[in-house]
Amino acid sequence: MNPTKTSFSCGQAIHAMTRRRMLGSLGGLAGFGSLLHPSIAKQIEERKKQVCLIWLDGGISQYESWHPLPDSKFAGPFRSIKTSIPGVHFSELMSHSAKIAHKISVIRTMSTKDPNHSTGVPRMQRGDPLDRGVDYPYLGSSVAKLLGPADPELPPYVWIKPGNGGFIHREAGFLDARYGALALGDGRPPVHIHRPDGVTAELDAARNALRQKANERFKTYRNLSDVDAYETSYDMARQLMARKEIFDDEKLDPKDRERYGQHPLGRHVLQARQLLEAGVRFVKVNSYHWDTHGDNFNMSQRLVPQADQPFAALINDLDDRGMLDHTLVVMMSEFGRTPLINSRLGRDHWPDCWSIALAGCGIKRGAIIGETTKDGGFVNGRGYDVGDLFHTIYNVLGIDSHRVRYRHKGQKLAIASDDCEPIEEVML
Amino acid sequence: MSAPPLDVTQSWASRELEHGRQLFRAQFSPDGQWIAAGGQDKLVHLWELEKEGKKSLQGHKTWVSSLVFHPKEKKLFTADYLGVIHCWDYEKGDKPTWTIKEADRDNVRALVVTADGKYLISAGDDAVIKVWKASDGKQVAKLEDHEECIFCLAISPDGKHLVSGDLLGRIRQWTIGDWKQVRELDAKLLHTRKENFLADVGGVRSFTFSVDGKLLAVGGMKEAKSNAFCPGKPTVLVFDWATGEVKNELGIKGKSDGPFNALQFLEDGTLVGHTEVLHSVSELAFWKVDQAEPIHSIKNGSGYDLSLHPDKRQLLVPTYVTGGSSGNGGRGKTPENYLPNTTVLRIFSLYPKPEKSKEG
Repeated sequence: MNPTKTSFSCGQAIHAMTRRRMLGSLGGLAGFGSLLHPSIAKQIEERKKQVCLIWLDGGISQYESWHPLPDSKFAGPFRSIKTSIPGVHFSELMSHSAKIAHKISVIRTMSTKDPNHSTGVPRMQRGDPLDRGVDYPYLGSSVAKLLGPADPELPPYVWIKPGNGGFIHREAGFLDARYGALALGDGRPPVHIHRPDGVTAELDAARNALRQKANERFKTYRNLSDVDAYETSYDMARQLMARKEIFDDEKLDPKDRERYGQHPLGRHVLQARQLLEAGVRFVKVNSYHWDTHGDNFNMSQRLVPQADQPFAALINDLDDRGMLDHTLVVMMSEFGRTPLINSRLGRDHWPDCWSIALAGCGIKRGAIIGETTKDGGFVNGRGYDVGDLFHTIYNVLGIDSHRVRYRHKGQKLAIASDDCEPIEEVML
Repeated sequence: MSAPPLDVTQSWASRELEHGRQLFRAQFSPDGQWIAAGGQDKLVHLWELEKEGKKSLQGHKTWVSSLVFHPKEKKLFTADYLGVIHCWDYEKGDKPTWTIKEADRDNVRALVVTADGKYLISAGDDAVIKVWKASDGKQVAKLEDHEECIFCLAISPDGKHLVSGDLLGRIRQWTIGDWKQVRELDAKLLHTRKENFLADVGGVRSFTFSVDGKLLAVGGMKEAKSNAFCPGKPTVLVFDWATGEVKNELGIKGKSDGPFNALQFLEDGTLVGHTEVLHSVSELAFWKVDQAEPIHSIKNGSGYDLSLHPDKRQLLVPTYVTGGSSGNGGRGKTPENYLPNTTVLRIFSLYPKPEKSKEG
């Protein structure tokens, strides 16, 4: 049995067809999208869909970002500033995002239950479908599996993160390990994408052919996922050797560096833009140390602008390039921060009512949704759990999240919690 | 009546004034009759101690970040996170007598008044020290040499010098009057920058001069472990004012992990400091400055300021009090029972408790 046919039951032909092959078969029709058969046009649109997840690990404070509520008894000391949407205010620490509020949606009533990092991070990035005793994939791996690579010559899931890089197969959960993330530690390209000077192209090709032959023989009797992961890492390395230019910092416009910010998150989000432009399906950018239990206000004053500046720059750039309509951008954490200010002038973990931002692909522009209690501490009306968010993400990517199922060891597994629904208020 | 003998080892909490919101600054007035305090609720609160009266002044539009009494006149200066300074006739008026609208780009973190009462000096986020006429708030001078936000200011006991301390652990000494920089003192131990931090942590958070002017104590914390919890080792550096050299480094035994936000020298040379801790009990610590560890400490909630009463025998600490909902997540809380944390202005008497009070 071929596991690649059994772990995902969507069965759409599009998943077996590469973008290049499809575009090749449509040669001469470029620019005449309206003449295409609607189903083909739709498939092309799906092929183009990309995602950038900006993950602020530890939890950004909603009061110091998207929902300042200056008259709340829980408010911080910062100004509340006008945004490009009349009547909507963000914290002054989000001055760049305030100018592009009309291009994004903000959900102010996330209500996600889990107040712990160790369980909250995987829950928020896996979508938390009902527990079937399996290790669900992280969102990037899910999208890599469900949509495939946007460009078959690039890895579908790249993760830009501080610290070490490498191929992180555990992101794939129960999916084949090859759906894991290619992590660029500190934004650096993988170390082995440069062919050693002593190895000619011919020799390299012969070496790869031999390796592939050995792999084919080896996997006849063994766990395919492990071999797939191994092969995938080699394939990625070969793909990246051919596309080294996308990691070339020297080609970045200094003005872009300035606009995104010289701090790590700014540099990494700019790199994410490069990768999205190059055709990577899903790019995750991590920033750590947002868990401001101590000195929240001094830290937020310095941290929040580090997220605000590149987020707004990315939205503007994608919009200017005509990419925003097919690229979903999400900026979020595992939870927000407490309304109460603790003894170290920090804010603790608060999953009960907090904010996230989305933009692009299938997301309304300028929708600020969710009603909270007067002081912002609790949801007043409908709160949204991570399952609702995942249904939303999958649906704007063209994936029917209630119909599509993973198949894993005989189980049909939901890709998002069956108890949740897409958040229509933010969807086009 | 003569003052009771100073004995910090016998200190006791002699009075408490409760307030329903968090207050970060609190000071006795020069005549000892008033306490002014400010913090999260944007108001300036004044307790008249003998009459047990209290009034609250409206004027700030965000948290009150700093306050100082004029040493000779019935004036109170208060500042906030939006760069505003108000001057109040605190006994008579309930409106500011004058206002400086843009004393800083953002937060005015420190205010002092020169000993002669002529100048009000402010500093904060924009790293520029501004000198104002204390009579009308007109600007006199700008002192520019710090590169990062300034947390604290102090005037030397002889009234001739100003010191300023910043996030990077740099201390500048300036002469009062001609506003020239004299020298820099090195307190970089109190600043932490690491490759994986998103922001610098720590800084010079507090100053106090010894009564004889020979020592400058500088408070903060060293060896911060992250920019998230911002935990570090509360630390005091004691400088020889004449040489500018560090004579001793002081710490505490307890588990407090925040900076010393306030220090105070007593007339017998004892140094007092208060620090913070997350979700636990902090301490009020007393040192002889030639000993690294406190000679005495009193368990207390996190404290953010210290003020010595003019009688030299009472110490005021705005102390954090939990509202009962601290920690992660709502855990079944509702808008009705999820209450703000609060403050008790705790006054410690620095002498043995009288027998009558002990019985009481």
